[in-house]
Amino acid sequence: MTDSAPIIAARGISRRFGRRSALEPLDIDVRAGEALALVGPNGAGKSTLLAILAGALAPSAGELRVADGATVGWVPQRPAVYSRLSAIENLVLFARLEGIPDPAARARELLDRVELPADDRPAGRLSGGNQQRLNLAVALLARPRVLLLDEPTAALDPRQRRRFWEIVDDLPRQGGAVVFATQNLEELGGHASRVAVLADGRLAFLGTREAYAVAPEAQVFG
Amino acid sequence: MRRVLVLLGKDLRLLRRSPALVGGLILYPLIVALLVGMVVRYVGERPRVALVDADGLPATLTVGGQDFDVDETIAQAAGDVDLVQMDEDDAQRALERGEVLAVVVIPNGFARQLRGMVQQPMLELRLTRGGVATSIRDKVDALVYRLNLELQQTFIRSNLEQIGLLEQGGSGSFLGEDFTVIGLDGAEAKLAELERSADPEVAAEARQLAIFVRQVRVALGRTEGALRATANPITLEETGGQGRVQILSTQVQAYALALTLTFIGILLAAASIAVERDENVIGRLARGLVGRTQLVGSKLVLVALVGGLVGLVLALAFNVVVEVAGVAGGVDWPRLPLVLVGVLLAGLALGAFGAVIGTVAREARSATLVALLVALPVILLGLVPRASAPAAEWISHAFPFLHAVRFFEATLADAHPAGAVGREAAWLVGLAVVYGAVARLGVRRLLA
Repeated sequence: MTDSAPIIAARGISRRFGRRSALEPLDIDVRAGEALALVGPNGAGKSTLLAILAGALAPSAGELRVADGATVGWVPQRPAVYSRLSAIENLVLFARLEGIPDPAARARELLDRVELPADDRPAGRLSGGNQQRLNLAVALLARPRVLLLDEPTAALDPRQRRRFWEIVDDLPRQGGAVVFATQNLEELGGHASRVAVLADGRLAFLGTREAYAVAPEAQVFG
Repeated sequence: MRRVLVLLGKDLRLLRRSPALVGGLILYPLIVALLVGMVVRYVGERPRVALVDADGLPATLTVGGQDFDVDETIAQAAGDVDLVQMDEDDAQRALERGEVLAVVVIPNGFARQLRGMVQQPMLELRLTRGGVATSIRDKVDALVYRLNLELQQTFIRSNLEQIGLLEQGGSGSFLGEDFTVIGLDGAEAKLAELERSADPEVAAEARQLAIFVRQVRVALGRTEGALRATANPITLEETGGQGRVQILSTQVQAYALALTLTFIGILLAAASIAVERDENVIGRLARGLVGRTQLVGSKLVLVALVGGLVGLVLALAFNVVVEVAGVAGGVDWPRLPLVLVGVLLAGLALGAFGAVIGTVAREARSATLVALLVALPVILLGLVPRASAPAAEWISHAFPFLHAVRFFEATLADAHPAGAVGREAAWLVGLAVVYGAVARLGVRRLLA
């Protein structure tokens, strides 16, 4: 697994917001078949790193490479959908922007997959869990090889969380990869193959889940 | 282009779902536009001027043997000036507070000089400061001209009465001196008797004098025309009261269109671009789905389309009012396509300007508030007359409102609008490009 060419390779990427440094220069690879967990307290730089890997935010320095033909899906922490459009309208809209043929069919397919009702309720009136499922469905529209998730289960109840991971865990099994940020260390055991620990914008640890468990520098939560 | 259309479709769908918002967005500026239009017209046409009668003019003033009703004469001469009688102190205070734009003082001794007809009496004019003084001076000049005209007509009538006395004979007075004249009629009668004299020498002289009297009669007969011609070499004949009543002036229509578009354009563009960040989709769009140029472009097209629709409805509404009420104004049907071109170009420029505001404010509610705060001074700046504050006009060139107003004024009123329309269209396109480029740069702020 670790010998294969990375789908995403980040070299020396960093990000500043004005005078404040949100992410110190770091190297990180995302390879096929793996689930990489980003762990760290609030403000550690997890969301910034994910936004850079997703291409939503340009790094202040460094280089980001994505393997030819690889698509990347992004599930930001707060649902990135139009709250006054319905779930199906959101999916059709983003499918059109992605240039997906037959956007309506793909939208219905994903609604079924994430088990959302195809009614005309605005997305803003859906429950937090359903909004997060819609958020995931939008990220899956272009059949991504890599899925980037920013604390995706924070607003979900245990049943919704289980169903959510069933969908996400399929991707590494099918040769793709998942990178997810979390503060819930219990999620590492079931879903992560590698762990990256961020603290104050610095990469404090990067290794296997087993190595993480015994590395003192990785224990950033005190 | 496909992605621009997809975003545009989304924005139009969201607008369609907010009929109250759209209604308010159209009605509010329309009402403001009509009010501003009326105020601009009123202020432009009838400035308030204080009249101070320091001489204590009588109700009736006799000049050159003619009686003048003072109040009536002043009222007739007031014309485009709203004359308000005040005492000296009140008038000065009103001028300092800006309650009146000028003070006209009838100084002590005015009536005496006017009656004497030897020394030219003078009125004193005190003007407000600033560029508007020129316009007020013109209007007071016109008032004095009309007063002179009233007096002049009376003097001519008086002179003609004297000439009538010379022709027909009788008693009269001039400058307080009473006199009796035989008149041309009497002179002719006497000469006719003398022509029948037995003395041939007397008869011959009487015939010569009779010829002279006839020549004088012919000359005096031309006096009325000559007096009027020399007093007023050129006169203006007004043929009012024909055709329709003018209530929807070109100026009001141009302001209504430009002001409505400015509010709609700036608010809509600012809010719609900021809402992409509010909804947290800006990051998703920025991941190669929609370029910054496409994002800004979609907002420009949105404003141009909505503005085009509103502009068309407004123009049609003007014409319906014109037809139903039987008043003048409205848009000439052949000019309607040109109005639409103006609406679309103004929409693009205003959309770009609004998009800049949206990227600066970043959040939809702030963007709406900032857009409103910015739109008002931009509009007011464009309404300041050039004569009043030239700097206001220079600054206004940097904003689309002034050019939109001028585009519509030229389209609605000019017989040959090509030059003005072309110039203002170039301004609007230029502003759309400049503000669009700034908004494109500003989109980065939405991602931060």
